Amino acid sequence: MKALHIAATGMKAQELNVEVISNNIANMRTTGFKKQRADFQDLLYQDLRRVGTETSDSGTIVPVGVQVGSGVRTASTARIMSQGNVEQTEKALDIAIRGEGFFQIDLPDGRTAFTRDGSFERSPDGELVTIDGYTVVPGVNIPDGAKDITISANGSVQAIVGNDTTSTELGQIQLARFTNKAGLEAIGDNLLLETNSSGSPQTGNPGQEGYGDLLQSYLEMANVDAVSEISDLIAAQRAYEMNSKVIQSADEMYATTTNLR
Amino acid sequence: MENAELVGLSRQMTLRRQMDIVANNIANLNTTGFKGQSLQFEEYIMPVAEASDFSFRDRTVSYVQDINSHFDLTEGAMSLTDNPLDVAVKGQGWFVIDTENGEQYTRSGSFKIDQSGKLTTSDGQTVLGEGGPIVFSDTDVNISIAADGTISTQNGNRGRLRVVEFGNETALRHVAGNRFTGDGARPAAAAEVIQGALENSNVSGVEEMTRMIAVTRSYSAVASMMKENQDLREAAIRQLGTTNN
Repeated sequence: MKALHIAATGMKAQELNVEVISNNIANMRTTGFKKQRADFQDLLYQDLRRVGTETSDSGTIVPVGVQVGSGVRTASTARIMSQGNVEQTEKALDIAIRGEGFFQIDLPDGRTAFTRDGSFERSPDGELVTIDGYTVVPGVNIPDGAKDITISANGSVQAIVGNDTTSTELGQIQLARFTNKAGLEAIGDNLLLETNSSGSPQTGNPGQEGYGDLLQSYLEMANVDAVSEISDLIAAQRAYEMNSKVIQSADEMYATTTNLR
Repeated sequence: MENAELVGLSRQMTLRRQMDIVANNIANLNTTGFKGQSLQFEEYIMPVAEASDFSFRDRTVSYVQDINSHFDLTEGAMSLTDNPLDVAVKGQGWFVIDTENGEQYTRSGSFKIDQSGKLTTSDGQTVLGEGGPIVFSDTDVNISIAADGTISTQNGNRGRLRVVEFGNETALRHVAGNRFTGDGARPAAAAEVIQGALENSNVSGVEEMTRMIAVTRSYSAVASMMKENQDLREAAIRQLGTTNN
């Protein structure tokens, strides 16, 4: 009897499901967070009476066999890259992306990370950096005394420097995009890394086809929908309970057999 | 005299197997596109010894045997996900997946795009369109999938999902990964593809729970029947074996 092990795979799968859902709920207010979803698949089947085998010399065949499955496994915890809502912040260096692209961030170890979180700051030496102090690529230098910083939808950063009356172009923000953005690897801090399955990044200016527009003084909220997460949580918890009941009753059956003598 | 025990054992064996099936259904309560299974039993009549000398005729002994596990092909509930790469089939229809073991069919439309832009399942197997794999270019955005399976992006048509049906769906065989194999696939006549939705598992928790209770109860009923049979035999040996003096 495999029921015990089958139910154990079910409990494990639901446990992971609850973990994924709770991480989504925990990050409900995380800027640029993209929710994940656990995808499940059934495991191998054992043929006890194979469909299509002959049942007599006159060529009659088994129309439907006996197949017993062996449980469930998690196929992926894919990130759902839909657009989150944008929220106004009235802070000049907050940028939201409307569309597919990602900001590129230089990590201290030399790698380039990608993020949808556009809550940037100005570092002491004038660079545009993330809240962790990592520089945004390509660099934008904001000189001392720059005021009225404007970031256009297509990524050009302009400001009035010193006593000028007209604005000066300080730099150009570029975005990266991927063939398979769900294949990016999350490393925490709202950052993602490129992987073999994401493909390599193509960079371009915002506003170009397929990259998305920038929106200054807005931030992209998490794309987590509280209501559906909670209902998924309830479903996952109930499924977990039912699997535990299966373990109990499989155990009872074993007990019955043991008590025969 | 052992017949009762053997008949009981045949029932217990099928019950254990039914328990496995119930467990598998419950384990897959949240598996997209999963189809619940149930077991059917058949009476198996033991051939009797040919002898006409007895004053009473031999009675036939019936065992029980599991004859087939058929899966319930009713449609699971649709849940909306708003993910453009999630598709569900409404009506009789299956997506075609290209695997190393040939074409396989699934109702689970939780698709992904791989690094080369190809549409795949969540475990990386290629989803087939009418004209082979469906490949997106690097600049494709706004993927939309029409009710007939036509996939288009802002750069134009990217192919059409192949949706097939079978003359005899019950002859399909379950393989792992939410997929089935079978022969005689033909283009689906009345299937409709819905984007941004997934088909849930069609397993009903309550039903499986009741079935599970029934299994455990009949299992212990058979066990107590066997116990009684054993007691009976013990009593018989004791009574018949005692000498009168």
